Amino acid sequence: MRISRRTSQTTSLLVGGLALSLVATGCAGSAKDQEDQAADGMIAQLTFPAEVDATVGGLGNYNPYSPTPLTAVWLYEPLIVRNNLTCEETPWLATDATWDGGDKLTLDIREGVKWSDGEDFTADDVAFTLNLQKEFPGMDKSGLWNDTFGAPAKSVTADGNQVVIEFEGNAAAKYDGIISTKILPEHVYADVDDPTTYVDKEPVGTGPFEVESYNGRRLTLARRDDYWQADKIKVEKIVQEGIFDSSQAALKLETGEIDAYYGDIPNPQRTVVDKDPDNTGFFYAPAGTTVLTGNLTEEPWSDPKFREAISYGMDKESMSEKGIYGIMEPASQTGLKLPAMEDLLPEEYAGADTVLPYDPDKAAEMLDAAGYEEGADGKRTMPDGSPLSVDFSVQAGFIDYEAIAEVVADDLNDLGVDTKVTASAPESVDEQKKTGDFNAVLEYLHGGCELARNLGSKLNSKQFPTEQDIFPNVGRYSDPATDDAIAQLSGATSREEQKPYLGELVDVMMTEYPVTSLIYAPSRTIYRTDHAEGWPTEDNPYASGADDRLLVMTHLVPPS
Amino acid sequence: MRYFLRKLGFFVGTLWAVVTLNFLIPRIQPGDPAELMVRRLQGKDSQLDAAQVRAMRSMLGTPDGSLWSQYWDYLGDLLHGNFGVSYTYYPFKVSEVIGQAIWWTVGLVVVTQIISFAIGMVLGAYAAWRRNTKLDATITIGSTFVGTLQPFWIALVLVYVFGYSLGWFPTSGGYSASTPGWNAAFIEEVISYSTLPALTLLIVTPIGWILGMRNTMIMNLGEDYIRLAKAKGLSDRTVALRYAARNALLPSVTGFALALGGVLGGTILVETVFDYPGLGRLMGEAVQNKDYPLLQTLMLLTTTGVLVANLIADLLYGVLDPRARRAEG
Repeated sequence: MRISRRTSQTTSLLVGGLALSLVATGCAGSAKDQEDQAADGMIAQLTFPAEVDATVGGLGNYNPYSPTPLTAVWLYEPLIVRNNLTCEETPWLATDATWDGGDKLTLDIREGVKWSDGEDFTADDVAFTLNLQKEFPGMDKSGLWNDTFGAPAKSVTADGNQVVIEFEGNAAAKYDGIISTKILPEHVYADVDDPTTYVDKEPVGTGPFEVESYNGRRLTLARRDDYWQADKIKVEKIVQEGIFDSSQAALKLETGEIDAYYGDIPNPQRTVVDKDPDNTGFFYAPAGTTVLTGNLTEEPWSDPKFREAISYGMDKESMSEKGIYGIMEPASQTGLKLPAMEDLLPEEYAGADTVLPYDPDKAAEMLDAAGYEEGADGKRTMPDGSPLSVDFSVQAGFIDYEAIAEVVADDLNDLGVDTKVTASAPESVDEQKKTGDFNAVLEYLHGGCELARNLGSKLNSKQFPTEQDIFPNVGRYSDPATDDAIAQLSGATSREEQKPYLGELVDVMMTEYPVTSLIYAPSRTIYRTDHAEGWPTEDNPYASGADDRLLVMTHLVPPS
Repeated sequence: MRYFLRKLGFFVGTLWAVVTLNFLIPRIQPGDPAELMVRRLQGKDSQLDAAQVRAMRSMLGTPDGSLWSQYWDYLGDLLHGNFGVSYTYYPFKVSEVIGQAIWWTVGLVVVTQIISFAIGMVLGAYAAWRRNTKLDATITIGSTFVGTLQPFWIALVLVYVFGYSLGWFPTSGGYSASTPGWNAAFIEEVISYSTLPALTLLIVTPIGWILGMRNTMIMNLGEDYIRLAKAKGLSDRTVALRYAARNALLPSVTGFALALGGVLGGTILVETVFDYPGLGRLMGEAVQNKDYPLLQTLMLLTTTGVLVANLIADLLYGVLDPRARRAEG
């Protein structure tokens, strides 16, 4: 029995024809755009992925106070750029910022800056932007007008080329937020009803670039000749297009379709750099520290002796190997990013090795000494003889965290501490942090420059998570003396003033082990050098790439 | 008539259940949209900045009132076609966002579904007619094998082979440099950019049709009327196509309607891999960001799509096959 010959021919024709027509139509249009020739000493074009992961068609918005503007980097500028890595400040729209006590901040505003529509930029624009945040709390990303981290502002006034912010009390810890405020043009935004819902289609900024075109997908930005530091900008054109997962991004870096990528590409050395070592590189700047946080209100974590012992019993090198291909270094127990923040270390620790070595024998001895004795089955018990166990909650899908948790569990089990790892959805882990219903988690200690707000709030008993919010002190460490030191630190306006209080916090970290520092967590830049050189590197870490893109732009030059 | 009324009543009841579940499910899951937004801007494992979370909450607004009054507000908004403002695409309205994305998915999925259906029916019927031959084995084992592969993985292989090694097709996006509209440059780009996503779907989707069609067809081939038709001396072709295949097609019609209605589900990963600006990617983003307004509307759209398709198929079925009417009526 056979189906007739003709039918079978039609079938194969149909299928074959379809395939053919698909191939034929697809061939056109994949040619890469020709790049323009650049003038001497200039870079014709750099291509980056889109900044926001959410764009559809013609819904473009440049309002820097919307959650996802098409670009948050190149159009509107901050007052001062503080390098996230070394905490060095580069004056931007403000030439200086001076504290008068902790409750008055004076900003000297740069003169000679022009908005992209030709109007002069003045101190009034700065005062306008800051005052607008009072009226619209949705814009107030630095908490200027409320009581998060310091007293709320009382008034913001422009006076000549200065802007004076007066606070109701000490507000020194708001500094980082205030200086990174994106300044809006008063002559445009004054007429806007609600700047949080305003769709900004024709942006007027002070930044180095202006919008040339946006077709719903490809954003083209052109260099401004009248930019206030135009001599430092060598890039004529920026194209931002597309959202890429790690494998797509690796391929696009390889073919030169993008010049930099700021997301995670597993093993960038092998997947990108080894394939083209002359033209590619990567810089993973430490942005913070991955820490192990036990629930200090629960056994066994309530015992500092236990926390100290296991801090020596975990192989951080192996975590780095398995979690992030050995790129990030084991982290200093001080909670500071070293060596970048070396000069902040208290004298007693200066030059000392504050990265705890992996020493299982020492850890075992310490556990023995603290009464966690090993039973006949090789498992340790609590000093009172009850069973000892650790239960790790780890975010499912955070591959690096899962790998690190596995190392922790293996090492602790080797020590005789019965440890198991439970992976659950990141939201559930968040929920556990809020309710305190967990035994141990991995989390992030932000390495930003406002140390009272980062290291400080991890140790501050007023920063326990609530049902609503995951405040940073997830482990619930509580010590009145530490709280005092944090309060003092947060009110101090200069590094010299801060140092003794910071010293106390470092001391707490090194002797109490409220959290155990594991490895540094990166801010990533993976880049190509055939169009532009001057990216931050380990040897020249002038910026932490991804977070300081504006600063990086002023360092980029054509390849020599 | 009773058959049709009954189906219509079933439709309305299911729709209400769907709308209600749609309201409830996102609300009983953990996770706070404002926190997720801040985290998305700062990095997945970042320490949440309290000031930023506070600002984001005040911007997005938090629902007030009891769950019950929220539910009534929600039903009222739905009736007025007011789907709210997306969190992910704030300050744009959900309807605007979906309005931009829907055509991409409709274009891609409807075309590939129709082609897949046709391929599936033809290959399935052919395999059944020539069952237990080498060709049948090739088709059946081949599709079972391909069916075990993840669409996601197939997409990545296509990206690598056709996108990078051969460089034939672009691998990301719906278009690039051209201006959207009815112009040759744009249309050309749309076709070339949708080739790889379409190919991925064309490899994956016919499988179910092929196997389904083959099985129903084989069952039908054992029926008495086929034997009768053969005994009458009708040509093989007539028996295969007009008797066996025609009847075997019937169940697939319902399946096809359902597949068209449920286009969204299967395209989330594929659209995400190709950064294709359609509803599937939107759905992925909405889930990730706990974008309730967007997520709810998309779910509503999908479920309504399936229900309407189902209703149409049911009604059509009643027309096509008198047995269905009599059996239930």
